[in-house]
This record gives sequence, structure tokens and C-alpha cells, in this order.
Amino acid sequence: MVRAHRWSAVSRARSKEALVGLLLVAPPTLVLLFLVVIPAWQAVTFSLGIVPADNVAYNSSLNLIRSDTPTLAVFRRLFATRSFTQNLGLTFFVTFATMTLLTLVSYALALYARFNRGRLSGLVRTLYLIPMFVPAIIAGYALTIFYGDHGVFQAALNRMGLPYHSPIGAGWGIVLGQLWVSIPFAVLMLSSGLDGVAEEQVEVARDAGASFWVILWRILLPLNFIPLLIVLTFTFIGVFGSFTIPYLLGGNAPQMLGVSMQLNFSAFRQQQIAVALAVFSFLVCAVAGYLYVYATTRRQQGAA
Amino acid sequence: MKKSAWGRSKAPWLVTALLLASVGPQVAAQNEPITLNFYSEGDVNVQDLWQKTLIPMYQKAHPNIKINLVFSAHGTSSQSTLDRMAGAQKANKPSGVDLLEGNVPDAGEAGLLEKLDTRKVPLLSRVEPNTLARAQSYGVPYRGSSVVLAYDSNRVKNPPQTLDALIAWINKNPGQFTYNAPDSGGSGNAFVTRILRLGIDPASSSFFETDYDASKEKQWDKGFALLKQLAPNLYNGGQYSKNNVETLQLLGKGAIAMGPVWSDQALSYMKQGLLPPNIKLVQIRPAFYGGSSYVGVSKDSQNKQAAYDFLNWLLSSDVQAIVADQMNGYPGVRLQYMPKEVQTKYGSIAKDFSFNFSSKFNSDMNRLWYERIAGRQ
Repeated sequence: MVRAHRWSAVSRARSKEALVGLLLVAPPTLVLLFLVVIPAWQAVTFSLGIVPADNVAYNSSLNLIRSDTPTLAVFRRLFATRSFTQNLGLTFFVTFATMTLLTLVSYALALYARFNRGRLSGLVRTLYLIPMFVPAIIAGYALTIFYGDHGVFQAALNRMGLPYHSPIGAGWGIVLGQLWVSIPFAVLMLSSGLDGVAEEQVEVARDAGASFWVILWRILLPLNFIPLLIVLTFTFIGVFGSFTIPYLLGGNAPQMLGVSMQLNFSAFRQQQIAVALAVFSFLVCAVAGYLYVYATTRRQQGAA
Repeated sequence: MKKSAWGRSKAPWLVTALLLASVGPQVAAQNEPITLNFYSEGDVNVQDLWQKTLIPMYQKAHPNIKINLVFSAHGTSSQSTLDRMAGAQKANKPSGVDLLEGNVPDAGEAGLLEKLDTRKVPLLSRVEPNTLARAQSYGVPYRGSSVVLAYDSNRVKNPPQTLDALIAWINKNPGQFTYNAPDSGGSGNAFVTRILRLGIDPASSSFFETDYDASKEKQWDKGFALLKQLAPNLYNGGQYSKNNVETLQLLGKGAIAMGPVWSDQALSYMKQGLLPPNIKLVQIRPAFYGGSSYVGVSKDSQNKQAAYDFLNWLLSSDVQAIVADQMNGYPGVRLQYMPKEVQTKYGSIAKDFSFNFSSKFNSDMNRLWYERIAGRQ
């Protein structure tokens, strides 16, 4: 009798707990459902030729492909255009160039901040955080004014008699902007990883006569692998789908996919192509995300 | 109008509003503050005209009317406004849009705007009938402007007077001319349109302005080939300006000697001293396109009478004189209704412009320009 009573009290407490848990998880799930999952599902089906009758923006698209069953015709048309191939080429170029340069620059900054504790390194630590507090649109304009045609940088170089060809309006201009806005996150991420490396390990290696490069290659890089992977994946996803920086610093053609999406959506009135581009970008970024998850879980399993 | 509003909604306050409206708009205006939501678009000068001059002026004269301006710079969100209006109409709910400036003909065709006539807006009688017909009477044309050729008179002594002369000049003076991408502003768009017209047979000319048939775009091939040929002779070996303003800035800096610009924007820049006095304007033959800006009244507006009154005020001579002066635009009403100074200022050029392509043709023109012409050569 007593036991039964206790049991029911426990199960009641459990179901109450479960209810609280459900309530807590409900808001983010609902937000995800209505703001992400449903629109994303609609976009996917629209890009497969299924045009929702009640969506005015979708229905007024030029060169609309309508189908009752899913078809890849929209993607076939998209992949067949020459400008898409060129835009994709530029997007990959900017993405990988940014990833490479960002890794080099931010690793150098993180190492400097980790192993130098002077006043100068404090200043450096403050400086690399600045881009975090400057909106990308402001940074874009600032970079244009400084590095653009007839800009401050050109004026300074010309005074010294040096020639200058502005990267603004071309691929390297976009890389410059992406680098600028990505540095704070990358350095913070790598620094926190480096801070996690025990001082003793480095000291022991140093006592054994290891040079800086050996320490870096044999100890720091392997122990700091996960943060680096996070930086690489997030930079890939962020740059691949970016809009503001390529819009401000890029040229007329080729364009990065984000800018091309916007043009297709408004200036060309090809909403379906724009949505297909978005779905394509999502798939590419999903592959990057999967590789990241796969690599980290495997590594954790290996460590365990 | 009363009947349809009655049919849509049976909210009690609306009954009161309609009763008051039937007594007369003045009484309604005195008793109940009215907010008109005005969705507009354009460049900064248009925003300034509404925000700093016209709206304060109107609100001062009509204290119970509040005009809430929702401005879309360069029309970037105008499509979403139209989508919203269409969505609201479908759902039988008010869209919250009372007045609309922008793509009035398309919005009217989609059944989102009221047709206007002199019964609703009496001063429409002063407007050129053709100008009104361009928007199928869905909007009040309150100002006009056209694209013209701007040139640096220090470097160009005899500016081209015809399109052929302009093309010849560009080829003879490499690096001295550029235009903006056609989706980023009307001045470059007008230049591309004018060149594409070279291949259009005269019989289809008006079809391109009002209709849409993608198969006719083969007639653009000649124009695109010419644009491709011109590209290496543009500024910096094929660089296009980013928008209307950048063309003016390049002219001002002396980076280029000639470029297509909006008449009103260029005149405003000159007045403010943003362009040196050696920059002059000329219209070529056949002329670049121009157009009027229209303001229409939303079909589901709850305050139509107030909206009509506002539009009528917009066409009165003193307001038109302000618009013509501040925007350096051609007045919306016929010049005979304007003060003498305005008549002499615009008498010779105000009507001298052609028309642009219909909006669907224009979308395709933008796309094909990016596919075939854009990029450094």
C-alpha cells in the first residue's frame, strides 16, 4: 500500500518533470518550425517545380517551371547558364582564399597573444577584436574608401611614385573584406584552444630542446585541431553564403552566389532561380557541416 | 466606394467613419485624426522632398492628417510591398497601404489600386492625358524627369547631338565614358534601353513598352553586340559605375568626361555645388527615356477621400512649383498651369523623352545584360 503510493508519487513527479521539459523545449522548436523548417521546405519544393498557388512572390516569377511532380528542370536550367558556372567559380575562390589566409593570419595572432604577455600584445588583443563591433556594411564602405579607386591608399602610394591597381570590384577585394570581418571570431576560437594546452607540455618540450616550429607542429596544432576545424567550417559556411561584403566590394560579374541570388530575385524577377540557388547553397554548406560533425565525433571517439 | 467598404467590414467604428465621411471630408477630417500610410521609393532626393518639404507642409495645413512615410531606397523593397498588398487583398484584410509611389501601372493592373478620374481628383484635368494613360489612370503623375547626357565642357567642346555621334565619340575617346549596370539605376538603364532599341523594328516599339513576349528579345541582339563592342572603350577598360550617383561622382572627379544621368538629379547636384560648373547637360536624338512618378491610392485604403484630397493638393500650382524647383523635375501638370519661371526653365525640354520597356522586358534586359555584357573585359 505504502509502496504503491510512493510509486505513483514518483511517476507523478516524473511526468511533471517531463512536462516542464516539453514546455522549455517548445518555444525554440516552434520558432525553428515556423521560421526555418516550413519556409525551407517550401523553398525546396518550389525549386523542384511545385509552385504553391497562394504564394504571390513565387507565382509572379519569370521563366517559371511548373510541375505536379518534383522535377530537376530548374536546376538543369540553372547549371546550364554560363554565368552560374563563373559565379560558382568566384564563390569557391573567395571562400577557399579567405579560409587559407584567415587561418594563417589568425593563427599567428592567436600564437602571439598566447606566448607574449607584454603591453603590446594587450594592444594587439584589443585591435583584433575591433571588427567584431563594426557592422559589415560600415566596414565595406570604409574598405572601399581606403583601398578603392582614387582612395586614400592609392593617393599615398602615388605620392611615393608607386603604381596601384585597386582590388575593390574584383575577387581579391571581397577576400580582403571577408578576412577583415572574420578575424575576431577565428582568433578568439583559436586562442581559447591554445589556452587549453597545458603550459607544462610546452615547457617540457622546450627543455628537451624542441624549436618553436617543432612545438607548433607536434604539440599545438594537433591539440588545437578541433578549434581549427570549427573555424574552417564556420568560415566556409559564412563566406559561401555571404551577401553584404561581396555586394559592396565585388564587381558586376562574376558575382558571388549571395549577390546573384538577390539579383535573380529582384532585378531579373526569377524568383524560382533565386530559390534554387539558395537550395543549392544550402546543400553545399550542409556537406561542409556534415564533414565537420563527422570529423569531430570520430576524433572524440578515438580520444575516448 | 462607400458600398464596397461597407461590404468588406462591419466594424462599428467604420460605420461612424462612413457617416462622417458622407457629411463631407472636411467634417470627418476635423473630428477624427487620420493616418495615411504612404509607401514611396526612389533616391535620397525623393525621400527629402517628401520628408522635409511636402509632408510637413501638408500636415501643417491639415492638422488632423498624419502622413506616415515608408520609404524604400532605390525601390529595393517595393516588390515586397506589392506582394504584401496582394496577399492582404487575397486574405480580405487591409494591407495598411493607403498611398503608393513606385510601380503604379503594375500595381494597378494587379487590381491593387483605384482608378482615378477628375471626379475623385479634380486637378487631374490639368495633366497631359498621355501621361495619365501611361499609368492607365492608376496614379497621379506629380513630377517628371528624363535621362540626359552629362559632359565635361572643358574636355568636350562639341557634345554629341545624336545617338550615332555618341557611339562614335565613345569609340574615339576610350576610358572617358561609362554607365551604371541597368538594374542599379535608371540612367544606365536608359542608356542600355536606347542602344537595344537600335535593333527593334518600329512596329514593335510600343509593344516593348507595354507588353511582354520573350521571343521578341531576339531583336535585342544587335544592341547587345554593340554594347559588347563598346565595353573595352569604357572607363578603366570596361568598368561600370555602381549606380546613378557614382556616374555623377566620376564626372565630378574628372575620372570620366561623359555619362548618362537623370536630369533632375544632375540639376540638383549642380545647384548644391556637388558638380563643378563645367558639367553641362544635353539631350541626344533620339532621346533617352524619361518618365513621370506616379502616386496611386490603394484599393483597400480605409481613408480614400483623404488620399484623393492629398493627391489633388499635390497637383496645385504652388506645390507643383515647389516640386519643380526642389527636384529640378518637370512638373506633373501641363506647363500652362505653372508660374512663368517654371515655364521658361522647362519649356523646351520637358516633353522631350522616350519611354522605357515594360517591367517584365526590363527584368529580362537586366538578366541578359549581366549574362552577356557585365564584367571587366
